[in-house]
Amino acid sequence: MSDAAAVLPRPLPEYNEAVVKKFLIAAIFWAIVAFLVGVWIATELAWPAANLGLSFINFGRLRPVHTSAAIFAFGGSALFGTSFYVVQRTCRARLFGGEALANFVFWGYQFFIVMAALSYVMGFSQSQEYAEPEWHIDLWLTIVWVAYAVIFIGTLMKREEPHIYVANWFYLAFILTIAVLHIGNNIAIPISMFSAKSYSVASGVQNAMIQWWYGHNAVGFFLTAGFLGMMYYFIPKAANRPVYSYRLSVVHFWSLVFMYIWAGPHHLHWTALPDWTQTLGMAFSIMLWMPSWGGMINGLMTLSGAWDKLRTDPGLRFSVTAVGFYGMSTFEGPVMSVRDVNALSHYTDWTIGHVHSGALGWVAFISFGAIYYLVPVLWQRSGLYSQRLASWHYWIATLGIVFYITSMWVAGIMQGLMWRAYDQFGFLQYSFAESVVAVHPYYVIRMLGGLMFLTGALLMVYNLIQTVRSRTTDQQPFALPAALAVAGE
Amino acid sequence: MDIEPSDLIVGLLMAVLGLVGLILASGAMDDEMYVFGLSLFGFACVFVFGLLRRHYDRLDASRHV
Repeated sequence: MSDAAAVLPRPLPEYNEAVVKKFLIAAIFWAIVAFLVGVWIATELAWPAANLGLSFINFGRLRPVHTSAAIFAFGGSALFGTSFYVVQRTCRARLFGGEALANFVFWGYQFFIVMAALSYVMGFSQSQEYAEPEWHIDLWLTIVWVAYAVIFIGTLMKREEPHIYVANWFYLAFILTIAVLHIGNNIAIPISMFSAKSYSVASGVQNAMIQWWYGHNAVGFFLTAGFLGMMYYFIPKAANRPVYSYRLSVVHFWSLVFMYIWAGPHHLHWTALPDWTQTLGMAFSIMLWMPSWGGMINGLMTLSGAWDKLRTDPGLRFSVTAVGFYGMSTFEGPVMSVRDVNALSHYTDWTIGHVHSGALGWVAFISFGAIYYLVPVLWQRSGLYSQRLASWHYWIATLGIVFYITSMWVAGIMQGLMWRAYDQFGFLQYSFAESVVAVHPYYVIRMLGGLMFLTGALLMVYNLIQTVRSRTTDQQPFALPAALAVAGE
Repeated sequence: MDIEPSDLIVGLLMAVLGLVGLILASGAMDDEMYVFGLSLFGFACVFVFGLLRRHYDRLDASRHV
């Protein structure tokens, strides 16, 4: 090849952006559903009569609707959409498998979400946290997931770039590990091929162990690894800076995926699970501090020399704050995994607060950052309709999270202390009902925090609709050149 | 214009899955399986119609180039 030919710009492939757009719209839609149902069930916890006496909207049925809508519908759609965007741009290749397969993954995944939610409100559940759908819905998700893996891995294999950018490693770990976890935790025998009811092949403590191997790694690989892939692409892009340390990102990746998979038993402290298994889970949870904080430092330091952009780019502000919350919740998690701390925190609302500092602060914020970046790019607009509205979204949502997690800290620690308090005769000092009455004000504050978060998200929806429709955001005549990107292309 | 292999494979897969949905609904022992089976059948039908529509849209577009 001559030198002249070597420097000629290569033509960009025609990326499949239609499926990315569809997943983004779905993510935004499901975010509103998840936050709305969350606020509703928080209201039910504060005022139980809010279930209106209807079985299909009682707390037990709506709670998995909320968690599944937040994790799988909102988070999952954001991950599918961004992974399809990132893998195409960083591999300089159109999605493998054609338009039909990508559409199957999109519509098949939405069908899974709707069927799962419908089954919960109808009263069907495996009763395993974050794995509530019964066997037939699990099988459907397996088909969709395999198609997703085929597209992602196929695109990596036909890439025109020699290097696989680190974000793709995190997305790949998310795809492969979730496949293994989903199948491993859902091996069940239906009572009939024509019945939705099934029983897990494992029972007792073995079932609990497998469930929390799945459950904690749903956090580790769905809610962490996948969104770290998002962080490693969109923060460098928005900041227009390379990743602070590419070497650290590789160390972050391998140490995280090695350690996370062992941490599940910390969900079963003080149970029938053997002590050594509990200790193993605790030890690996504490070791997870290192990769988690390594990743956080890498994300934050990427802003070196570009911190001023936080003043002008609310999308980037969401992403960077998300990394801060990631650091905070990955500090809190190992603390709570210590057996003696867990004796106080387990079964209390401290756990709920911890989950939400990760779900709202990390998962939702990093997704909002990616969405604010992607919508103008995909719809070829010069920018957001209103930076001011995005800033309002940021502050309302941040304040909402603070209300949420501080109220749950106070409620959770108070519950733990009340449940373990003895009087001078050795009797329990408080009845359970007294602890329920004591946390009522904090449940109201939690509901208000959730309402603020929902309000912020509604501002985002309005802002994004106006970004696409408004005349004030000029349409650009061409797509942004991916070749100018800094993140690995 | 030839049929794209991806359309054909996904279309056949959906036809089989739609049939499975119909069978599940036909023998359903509970409401959940009945709703799921019928929904799967409906989903498969709509998806295959979407594949057909896109195929003919592409054919139409290639004629007008």
